[in-house]
Amino acid sequence: MSEHILSVIVASPFLAALLIMLVPGDRHGPIRVLGFVGSVISLLGAIYVALHYDQARGGMQFGVVYPFIPRFGIDIRLAADGWSVALLLLTGIIMTAGSLASATLTNRPKEFYILLLVLVAGVFGVFVCQDLFIFFLFYEIAVLPMYLLIGIWGSKGKVAAAGPFKAVWRDLDVGGKEYAAMKLTLMLLVGSAAILVGMFAIYFAAGGKSFDMIALAKTHFPRDMQLWVFPMLWLGFGSLAGVFPFHTWSPDGHAAAPTAVSMLHAGVLMKLGAFGVMRVGMIILPEGAAAWAPVVGAVAALNVIYGAVSAMSQKDLKYVIAYSSVSHMGVVMLGAATLDTDGWNGAVYQMFAHGIMTGLFFALVGLIYERAHSRWVPSMGGFAKVMPGVAAFFTLAGLSSLGMPGSAGFVAEFLVFAGAWKSGNILWAIPAMIGAWVTAVYVLRATKMIFWGDGPSHEFHDLHDAKRVEWGALWILGTCIVLFGCAPRLVLDFIGTATGEYLPAIAKAAASIAPVALEIVK
Amino acid sequence: MTLVTWALLALFVPLGVAAFIGLVVPLRRTGRPAALISVAGALVSLASAGMVLAGGSAALKPGVHATVGWLTAGTATAVGVHLDGTSAWMLLVVTLVATCVQIYSLGYLHDEPPPALGRYFTYQSLFLFAMNTLVLAPNLLQAFLGWELVGLVSYLLIGFYFRKPSAAKAAVKAFWVTKFADLGFLIGLVTLYAQTGGFEWTAVTPAATFVTLMLFFAVMGKSAQFPLHIWLPDAMEGPTPVSALLHAATMVAAGVFLIVRAEPLFEQAALTRDVMAYVGAFTALFAACVAVVQSDIKKVLAYSTCSQLGYMVAALGAGDTFAGYFHLSTHAFFKALLFLGAGSLIHAVHSNELKDMGGLFRKMPFSGTVFVVGALALAGVPPLAGFFSKDLILEAMHHHGLHVPLAALAIAAFLTAFYMTRTVMLALFGTPSHAAEHAHEPGIDMKLPLAVLALLAVGAGFLGGPLAGLTGHDYAFHFTPVGGAGTAIGLVGIGMGYFMFGPAQGGAAIKRGFAPVGAFIRYGLMDRLATVAYGIMLAVGAIIAWIDRYVIDGLMNWSGWILLVLGRRLRALQTGNVQDYVYAVALAVVVFGAWGILR
Amino acid sequence: MGLESYVLIAGFLFCVGLYGILTRRNAIGVLVSVELLVNAANINLAAFAHFGRGLDGQVFVLFTTALTVAEVVVGLALVILLFRRRKDILLDLANGLKG
Repeated sequence: MSEHILSVIVASPFLAALLIMLVPGDRHGPIRVLGFVGSVISLLGAIYVALHYDQARGGMQFGVVYPFIPRFGIDIRLAADGWSVALLLLTGIIMTAGSLASATLTNRPKEFYILLLVLVAGVFGVFVCQDLFIFFLFYEIAVLPMYLLIGIWGSKGKVAAAGPFKAVWRDLDVGGKEYAAMKLTLMLLVGSAAILVGMFAIYFAAGGKSFDMIALAKTHFPRDMQLWVFPMLWLGFGSLAGVFPFHTWSPDGHAAAPTAVSMLHAGVLMKLGAFGVMRVGMIILPEGAAAWAPVVGAVAALNVIYGAVSAMSQKDLKYVIAYSSVSHMGVVMLGAATLDTDGWNGAVYQMFAHGIMTGLFFALVGLIYERAHSRWVPSMGGFAKVMPGVAAFFTLAGLSSLGMPGSAGFVAEFLVFAGAWKSGNILWAIPAMIGAWVTAVYVLRATKMIFWGDGPSHEFHDLHDAKRVEWGALWILGTCIVLFGCAPRLVLDFIGTATGEYLPAIAKAAASIAPVALEIVK
Repeated sequence: MTLVTWALLALFVPLGVAAFIGLVVPLRRTGRPAALISVAGALVSLASAGMVLAGGSAALKPGVHATVGWLTAGTATAVGVHLDGTSAWMLLVVTLVATCVQIYSLGYLHDEPPPALGRYFTYQSLFLFAMNTLVLAPNLLQAFLGWELVGLVSYLLIGFYFRKPSAAKAAVKAFWVTKFADLGFLIGLVTLYAQTGGFEWTAVTPAATFVTLMLFFAVMGKSAQFPLHIWLPDAMEGPTPVSALLHAATMVAAGVFLIVRAEPLFEQAALTRDVMAYVGAFTALFAACVAVVQSDIKKVLAYSTCSQLGYMVAALGAGDTFAGYFHLSTHAFFKALLFLGAGSLIHAVHSNELKDMGGLFRKMPFSGTVFVVGALALAGVPPLAGFFSKDLILEAMHHHGLHVPLAALAIAAFLTAFYMTRTVMLALFGTPSHAAEHAHEPGIDMKLPLAVLALLAVGAGFLGGPLAGLTGHDYAFHFTPVGGAGTAIGLVGIGMGYFMFGPAQGGAAIKRGFAPVGAFIRYGLMDRLATVAYGIMLAVGAIIAWIDRYVIDGLMNWSGWILLVLGRRLRALQTGNVQDYVYAVALAVVVFGAWGILR
Repeated sequence: MGLESYVLIAGFLFCVGLYGILTRRNAIGVLVSVELLVNAANINLAAFAHFGRGLDGQVFVLFTTALTVAEVVVGLALVILLFRRRKDILLDLANGLKG
């Protein structure tokens, strides 16, 4: 059992998708059940991994190798380290909640579930894959279904034309779902191209014999090569993590996407980007990472405050949450850039915490949108009277996002700030902290405008609270926020195990190299 | 049971209650039963706190420490309980006032719809847990957890009447302002962590001045020191018992408690202490001035709270921890009493405005009496509680040569006595308003807590000796010229207030003379500045969002659009007519053939 | 007769076929012209095979013939589909792929 558990986790969504293909498209019930079961098996597998991962031993566990293209040294190598454990749990939780949240979908559920399950299988694959080529393959499997999921099941917004590029706006259907799907896919594929280049650069620099990431991490690459390959990987993966200025797909994409897709995308997919930067970029290319760390950190700090300030003046609820994701992913990247134990633990924990929190947010926004048929915050008000449960969960998600102790968000943000401060990067930490405060401003402002005050006005006459299955998604995510906020060591210990193994090599590299600007001058 | 077990009981019973009535929705919706469970929880917590204090004055002296690793294994980031005289006494004060307030709330919120009542008591229990988390903190990390959580509950309780726009606004304002100040706490924490690798109360670090300045910034927010006091008066939008518990007796005093706890750190930072002395004294004076001109009884008390917190902060700034801590305890009792007493009056006339009261003493002798007791205690009339602690603070300022703050505090003492007399005269005596004609005394559930608190407001001053023994300080009351002068000033203030607002209604010239000053104070300069700052922030946000949308994203769209336009030009070549394509192929063959031959 | 005459004939056939493809409006006509092109190539292959060495060219002729048959089948099927859809088989009007 133990050696095949990772295969089970990755394969179960694939299998569920295959089975759904055999079900006639109008039988919605069995399709949903299959989708849910496929996700739950993965979640249980993730829990099994968490329970059986031997922390004292650490390192890669549950390893299994299937030869794929031996000539090029490509094998399907699955193994889990401490980070994987945390992120597998996250993906399982979000996917289970996501499949519950899409239970009310009636437009072509068969195709929807197939794509969603394929996507999530790709995500699981990325988190446990230790072969760079297959890693990239899974990455693409996770990214591409998004085009169809948004293009077909998305919803429409409208962005008024203005600014220096007015003509462009008139020409494009900015805010429409096809536009959003296209933009998201194109921007992420440009990123993928950069990753591909970086990947092959690493492969050939290591002798062109193997894509094994563990072996690659032990290889010492020439410094010049590291200096140009790392930024390729950073921006390539970073485009998915919403790194400024390649974050602009995120607001439009998340706003247009259907509920479960937003949940998965913001909750899990954006983490793939940050995970890729750390797992591939920083661990395989430590000197490149150390030299570029000041740039990565500065951009991340900018992300945090910029995303928060932008979120503050959005009037469309989904845009508020989407910009908050941009801001919070900045915290992840900031933690990564510290190259410090606390910072890295915080970064991975923030992936986890933000995933759950934003999953809850998007589930709630979906509920509100479905009932109010509007995402326009200024027109809302007083919703807490008719949907108290939704209001309570929205507040909970908001508190986690602004870093309230007792919620998972606090632990993550605190660790990242501590790491940034400890690594001597006060100039990053302060903007990031202010960004966290701005989060408090816009989240509570949105909460106040939507749920508090008089109302709801006549326009919203048929609002009601969450129902049956919908509660499931909310309770799962809400409980996780509080549980992992109060007992962070449930996950943090795993993360810490892996961080402790990877960091020394990077710390050594950092000691031997100057910031990139100086390196280039040399 | 060991002391730690009792302390854990005091800590977690309220949490269990909050979780139970919060999550069992049908129970919460029934209101009254949920409320009774909450009160029972508070009583258990109070009893446990009593057991801690009664059971181990010997054990408390060295301190009892029990922790468990929170972020990592080991003690660096641990949570748990730390029991010594200071925390044990504070635990008792908090649970006692909270219990009184919860019982009082049963009567005060009797007319609320049951679901709202259930929600209220969920928050109340949660508050007790959060406050106890802070009080029992074994290190600064846990103190921060509790600190933020009480802020959260404060936000929820101020916004209890969330359908009222003003309450909604006050709630978010309180949260934003205190959370902004908490950035200081966060910075202080991470600095301490970076310097010492832990969060110990007793840490020794060269960065102590910076750390404590940052911590003090957070205290200025939570304990409403100028200029971050602006949220406290607005916080009066919450139900009156909430104001009594959170915004007078316990939560706002958390800042003072934090400094008392972190005394070893603050001792290393002379600069911070000076800043504290001046900020505290200025706040005491400033807030007392503002309190004089308020027309809303709760606002009077709110500014009075600011002012009294200023006293405590100033005392701590002078380095006399015990004076600040003692005043914190006595103030908790008499200010809770004043708020709850005011609550009875408000409950009777359904208005906060002083002009809607008047002559209430005859109708409500019990409430009136306890309110007067509270007012006298606040004014520092011997031998009530406020007299001893205020006396000690003035003496401490004098002893440490802080003459400017001392002068400010002395004037504030005069003003305190003056505005309390004014309030008492306007609310309890004088001509009754229409509403006041039909006022009547509240029920027993409201009277009982008032009686308990009134007793404490009278007698708590005599607890100074035992309290000092418990916390390891020296204290015995003795008469000093400075203290005597302070008391005399207070008495003058009372006389002045009686002269101007009593039956004589004298001093018309003074009232006229100070009218412009009053108008200026009512203008609320700091509030308006904060509003302007908020507006600026929103404007900056709008500008940045616009730039992101139309410039950054515009560039992205533009780069895609260029290709689109190019494609549109080139599509003309694609006629769709097959024969055109063959022409092109044939032509290409000729051209390439010719090129091949001629090359 | 030498190789030149075969090549000339093939060249002539090719030109006729090309002219047909470029000018015929009728799809059947175009298909016929395509046949001419292919046969021009076939003549060349056979001729070079005959005058040169080896049998490669003749094998290729068989190959292309088979290929042409398949091509005509597909082509005619397309023409039928075109007719069903548009009620004519005029190529200059069938520009549905216009960009």
